Amino acid sequence: MARYVLGRLVGVLVVFLIVSVVIFLLMHAIPGGPYNEDKVPLSAEAKANYLRKYGLDRPLWEQYLLYMGNALRGDFGVPFQSPTETVAGLIARTWPVSASIGVLALLVALPLGLLLGTLAAARQNTWVDYLTSATATLGITVPNFVVAVWLVLLFAVQFKWLPTGGWGQWQHYVMPVAALALAPMALTARYTRTSILEVLRSDYVRTARAKGLSERQIMVRHVLRNAMIPLLTILAPQIPNLITGTIFIESIFRVPGLGKFFVTSILARDYPMIMALMLLVAVVWSLVYLVTDILYTVVDPRVRLEKSRT
Amino acid sequence: MQRKIIPLAPRRASAWMMFLLIVALLIQACAPAAPSAPGTESAAPEAAPAGPVVNALGKEMPPDAAPLDQQVLIYPYSGWRTFTTIDFFQAVYERADALTDLLSDSLVRLDKNFQVNPGAATEWSVDESGLVWTFKLDPNLMWNDGTPVTADDYVATFRYGADPTHAWDFSWYYQGVIKNWTQAVNGEVPVEEIGVRAVDAHTLEFTTEMPAPYLPAMLLYSAPLQKKALETHGGLYNSNPATSVSSGPYKLVEWTKDQRLVYEINPDYKGTNIPYIQRLVVVAIGQPSQLLPAYEANEIDFVWGSGTLSPADLQLIENDPELSAQYHPHYGDFRTYYFAFDVSKPPFDNLLVRQAFAHVLDRDTILANIVKRQGIPAYSFLMPGFPASNSEAFKDTYPYDVEKARQLLAEAGYPNGEGFPKLVMKLRAEGPTPVAVAQAYASALKENLGIEVEVSNMDFKAYMDELNAKPTQVQFTLISYGMDYLDPSNMLGVFLSGGRHPWSNAEYDRLVKEASSFTGDPAERTRMFQEAEKILVEDAAFVFVYHQTPGDLIKPYLKGPALEPDNNGVAAWHWPGFSTFSDLLSGVYITKDVVNYRQPPQ
Repeated sequence: MARYVLGRLVGVLVVFLIVSVVIFLLMHAIPGGPYNEDKVPLSAEAKANYLRKYGLDRPLWEQYLLYMGNALRGDFGVPFQSPTETVAGLIARTWPVSASIGVLALLVALPLGLLLGTLAAARQNTWVDYLTSATATLGITVPNFVVAVWLVLLFAVQFKWLPTGGWGQWQHYVMPVAALALAPMALTARYTRTSILEVLRSDYVRTARAKGLSERQIMVRHVLRNAMIPLLTILAPQIPNLITGTIFIESIFRVPGLGKFFVTSILARDYPMIMALMLLVAVVWSLVYLVTDILYTVVDPRVRLEKSRT
Repeated sequence: MQRKIIPLAPRRASAWMMFLLIVALLIQACAPAAPSAPGTESAAPEAAPAGPVVNALGKEMPPDAAPLDQQVLIYPYSGWRTFTTIDFFQAVYERADALTDLLSDSLVRLDKNFQVNPGAATEWSVDESGLVWTFKLDPNLMWNDGTPVTADDYVATFRYGADPTHAWDFSWYYQGVIKNWTQAVNGEVPVEEIGVRAVDAHTLEFTTEMPAPYLPAMLLYSAPLQKKALETHGGLYNSNPATSVSSGPYKLVEWTKDQRLVYEINPDYKGTNIPYIQRLVVVAIGQPSQLLPAYEANEIDFVWGSGTLSPADLQLIENDPELSAQYHPHYGDFRTYYFAFDVSKPPFDNLLVRQAFAHVLDRDTILANIVKRQGIPAYSFLMPGFPASNSEAFKDTYPYDVEKARQLLAEAGYPNGEGFPKLVMKLRAEGPTPVAVAQAYASALKENLGIEVEVSNMDFKAYMDELNAKPTQVQFTLISYGMDYLDPSNMLGVFLSGGRHPWSNAEYDRLVKEASSFTGDPAERTRMFQEAEKILVEDAAFVFVYHQTPGDLIKPYLKGPALEPDNNGVAAWHWPGFSTFSDLLSGVYITKDVVNYRQPPQ
């Protein structure tokens, strides 16, 4: 197992290297620069000074090596959008905010989704099933920013129970978490239902029944555990998106998170931020996939990560 | 083109509002009388000290003003971007987009009629050559670290603006006006040689390249940075309350990035723009679409209308009598939207083609269906109300006339649009209204002239790169310009040769340049500008569509002389808004009515 993990980590590093080169070249290929020429272009001298100040006048390969050298030493530079802080400082300030609502949304979505999915499967083709399926379809098809706008109109403008947005009090968590949780909850519910129904029809469940196990034992020991496998595949890719911040939810609810920087960094040609966010996303995705693969072995003993030695 | 607007959800909140109001009133009636906060008017008449309430700066509050602890203005700014500064001379376009430039007094300031009045300068004069200006500074002004505001602060600030190592995004503004500014920006002479000099501690001297009668108006943007802080902490010293220093009416007390900016009245302020409002809270709102909900939920007192309220929002406001009454359209920054052509290349090098394009624009339909109350039709560049505006005179230059347009296009060699190249109309990251205007015009061109136009709303920087490229890569566009200072030399300067567009006209250049420096009879100066604008309109290199009249939403509990009707009867939150550039800052307060909308601050 350790060898496998090590091998994967080396693979991740290689991917980083390739991705960093591609992103670096791409972002420098976009027209325009981090300087502002909103009304009238800068003088040639001023522009040259600006480029010199940030080392942008050097050849690209040199800029890349310089950046990577600094990054390896933990220096990710200064964001052009916010020169009074460092890139690392900005991420340290905003990421925990995004992660907190993302993790809360997961904590709400998973148990609720599992519960609804199990209920729907256990009561297949009853009103419980139909209601769950309808809710789930709605949750998957309606984008979260539309749900967010509805929530604001209903709970903040109409009933005035909650503030329309902001940050710092518990009230500020309610709507963003609810809006974020809806889709993963719906997804979990749907897939839980489908997998459970599939497993219920499998041979080993029939065998378990034949052995005389109680329905409860069958459900917990055989059905749920096996139903987890497809669920893992579906849910894992939700996690990185949820915990690195979502631009729509954060901007609608005024959550001071990382989400908007994925867009504003590109609009502002904020090269250090673009690189840092790219690395961050790559790390999170790689880790999530690695953990998912390890989890497969836990829920399904048939999955082997290393080549069998026979 | 009719755009049907469907509101997302019913918004009839008034019943709920009434219910909550009644509940609130009942609670208030039952509650024991609260002890009044220090410094506020006491409820019991016998306990109240005789005489009116005065605020921290000794300003007498109007009788209907809310207690001092409720003199809090809650204002939105865009949370979409992470702003770096609140100072004009640091960066204009990286500056927060609301409630900035509050920490020092500009030399002059505007009133609601756009008159240039003394600010930090008590008086000014120009010598006989028309080149050397002397500004006397208010000797009372102090920084809140106890040091006086001197001419050296202004000199240091202007040098900072001209410094090519600073690469100020607004350095173009004083180019060709202040002596040696251009050379300094280009790194040809040291910044010490620009025409801004301290004669003594309270006398500032400007030397211009040529006579510039508009210099005082232009010096609206002259709120200084403190020389000492600039040298010790650099140009971003006001981005942190710990290093911030103020000689203005307010001081910075909190700046939580991406969330909130908070100012409090500066008790050490010695200037003349004395505010009523004690505290300013600027809230970051990430989505323009969330401004209206936040306003309706009484979380903000104001919504800045320009480019933020969508056509759907406007429809909602129009349908709601309460919101409608709180909606105040005004001149904004006298912004004009216009179509522009690259006249250096075919097909737009042909006047007939441009005239055909001009005749096919149906301003009335576009205004009625798309722009609505956010604009008025533009027949020329200078908006009614702007100095030298002559809008009426150009009304019939290129009236909407499809037949005429077809005829002109045929004359130009493109009967029914045959052989006319397919066009791409590029836009500069515009909001929903200009995009809809562009699309309406594109379909009119297709329908009436048989010309195919694709509308492409581009990324801001990519667009500017293409526009500024020499030769330009923008063949056809809808773009706008808003004034920087209130003089035709500013607005009409946009079209000088070598400027924003490839259009070039020697006679136009001559007229604008001569009029700009003209120190004689102002009526004659106006006439010269109008003559120049006539050339601009008739040559049809630009087709003017609408002048933007942004409407702001202002809560009814905001009141004061600044919000009373101006000379033209417009009662609004006039440009340039709440900053030391304007006496709006000292002319607005919060009435007792505020308790019906929001809770008093804790």
